[in-house]
Amino acid sequence: MIKVGLIVNPISGMGGSVGLKGTDGDAYKKAIELGAKPVVPRRVKDTLSLIKRKDIYFLVAKKQMGEDYVREFSFKYEVVGEIKEKTTAEDTKKIAKELISKEINLLVFAGGDGTARDIYDAIGTSVPVVAIPSGVKMFSSVFALSPYAAAKMIDSYPCEITDKEVLDIDEDAFRNNKLAAKLYGYLKVPKIESLLQQGKESSNLTVAERKRKREIAKYVAERMEKDTLYLLGPGTTLKSVADELKIEKTLLGIDAVYKGKMVGKDINEKELLNLLKKHKKAKIIVTPIGGNGFIFGRGSKQFTPQVLELVGEKNIIVVATQEKVSSLECLRVDTGDMKVDERLKGHIRVITGYKEEMIIEVK
Amino acid sequence: MNENPYPPSENVLRAIKDSINNINRYSELKYADKLKEALASYNNASEKRIILSPGSEFLLRELINIFSGNRKLIMTNPTFFPALKHAIRNARKIIKHQLSPPNFELNREMILEELYEPTLIIVDNPNNPTGKMLLDRKFVMEILKNKDILLLVDEAYYEFVKYTFADLVDSYPNLGIVRTMDKSFSLAGLRIGYLIAGDFFLKEIYDFPRFLPIPTLFAAREALKNPEYMEENIRKILIERKRLESGLKKIGVTVFSGEVNFLLIKCDIPELSTILMDRGIMIKDLSTDWIEGFYRVSVGLPEENDKFLAEMEKITNNPALKW
Repeated sequence: MIKVGLIVNPISGMGGSVGLKGTDGDAYKKAIELGAKPVVPRRVKDTLSLIKRKDIYFLVAKKQMGEDYVREFSFKYEVVGEIKEKTTAEDTKKIAKELISKEINLLVFAGGDGTARDIYDAIGTSVPVVAIPSGVKMFSSVFALSPYAAAKMIDSYPCEITDKEVLDIDEDAFRNNKLAAKLYGYLKVPKIESLLQQGKESSNLTVAERKRKREIAKYVAERMEKDTLYLLGPGTTLKSVADELKIEKTLLGIDAVYKGKMVGKDINEKELLNLLKKHKKAKIIVTPIGGNGFIFGRGSKQFTPQVLELVGEKNIIVVATQEKVSSLECLRVDTGDMKVDERLKGHIRVITGYKEEMIIEVK
Repeated sequence: MNENPYPPSENVLRAIKDSINNINRYSELKYADKLKEALASYNNASEKRIILSPGSEFLLRELINIFSGNRKLIMTNPTFFPALKHAIRNARKIIKHQLSPPNFELNREMILEELYEPTLIIVDNPNNPTGKMLLDRKFVMEILKNKDILLLVDEAYYEFVKYTFADLVDSYPNLGIVRTMDKSFSLAGLRIGYLIAGDFFLKEIYDFPRFLPIPTLFAAREALKNPEYMEENIRKILIERKRLESGLKKIGVTVFSGEVNFLLIKCDIPELSTILMDRGIMIKDLSTDWIEGFYRVSVGLPEENDKFLAEMEKITNNPALKW
């Protein structure tokens, strides 16, 4: 038997049909007024109907947060915790923590970016998750792509696990057609390949992925120049570079390194500009966001057009594992300044391993 | 696995059966020489330029081992993935060029800019899995005029496109053409590859005739006696490819027209290859090595293609399989 937790955000996805861009905060009330219908039940039920394994013991939140869907199937289950009449993010976090204390193997949740954020806040990377996509905004790469894929992930557990990004979108800005996103954290997700490729690949890609990041880091560190200021963007690949330099990286922020020493930790635009005044030569090292390939404009807003202009497009080093970059059609930039974007466009080199590079288009 | 759905001719099958009578013996060099003679005549090339190998993957690995130790290596992504993986593990330094939709073109300027130091370039033309031609004569000659650069063109699908650079091998010592009889001649299970080698390659590598089993040598020679059989199979495959392409387009699947025995498709239904595998159909999911949502579909027998189209229609109409 595997113990699987299930948490459903019952209001997620409701904003979409009525033209709202999410249901965080007051938008939910507005969605109801506009006649929005819940979309979550079908998606959760589709997923449950496609699960083939019988050895699952579900631990579910009450009523519309889980129990209502599992009840219709023949799975063994128990109900965990209490929820309020009108559920909120706090219910999600509270139930998630309770499920962890019951030693679940896997946590299945349905929702959007907001729900993913809540789950991350509550459980971090303590257990792998399967995320059923049902929100309006799903910029995070943690989500399964369909109920079939989600069911397959549940069926495949235990299996290889990989870290996927949780992106946090500012919904107020988003509703005004501004996309402001930042990397919020990582959740652990089952990595499933098609049956064909499973047979072909080596047994543990997670270890291989870590090794590749170390190779990238070694290559980058070897080529670092002494008289140059290096600005390390967010992400686990850059953390590997910092590890190689034996400094402690802010995972989701920007750190500055000069002559192998940290000279700025989790710095903002103002601090970046100050450092750039002091140092004649500077280089930015970034990694693209998985899935959409943004190197600037998402995830690292501190690299503003002004910062990028001062550093210069020739001084941008992009690093990413072969796996990540080869899955991208192109890299993308959206700095908010058309002129800067234009200069960054063209083809760029990405360091993908030790003495290994990929040339890819930037759009 | 991208094989020819049609079996070899009766004559080839008979040659294989006859050859196994003395399978207790090692293959004799004269058998390999006879095959080289036949391949030279088939390709209008000199016999001394033909290097035999048990499949083209073996040949590519060997060429990477020998020539990438003191040279930079340039390849595309995607390409024939086993060769790329071998290259990543073994090359001194590797630069990969990502081919991106919708045109999957090689950035020629970036390649030419790279050629400031001794370099080995390996390009499959047409490319697998996009099916696109990446090279033309002008570009190839531009590369080859630099003597420090070695160019290997993998022409595994030559018989489908009838476009080759093999005739340039006499003039350019730094050019090598990699071929296989696995696909077009329906001999995948026997593994027969060969190199049409420029002088530089000829000087540096050993031939591997003894690696080829007797049935392989006999089958290949027999197949070359009757290329019309192979051409007829290719004709049937190309007709089926067109039918598959229009069938897929009708049900709303994005198809990128290629030149060979497979189609590159884009489909947003997640885990499409697993869903099809559950229904007894194998296609190649390219997401592990390349971009999510892209698949290579090899042309099968007409009845296999019918089944594939019927299942694809059911799948694309099933809302539980997509959002």
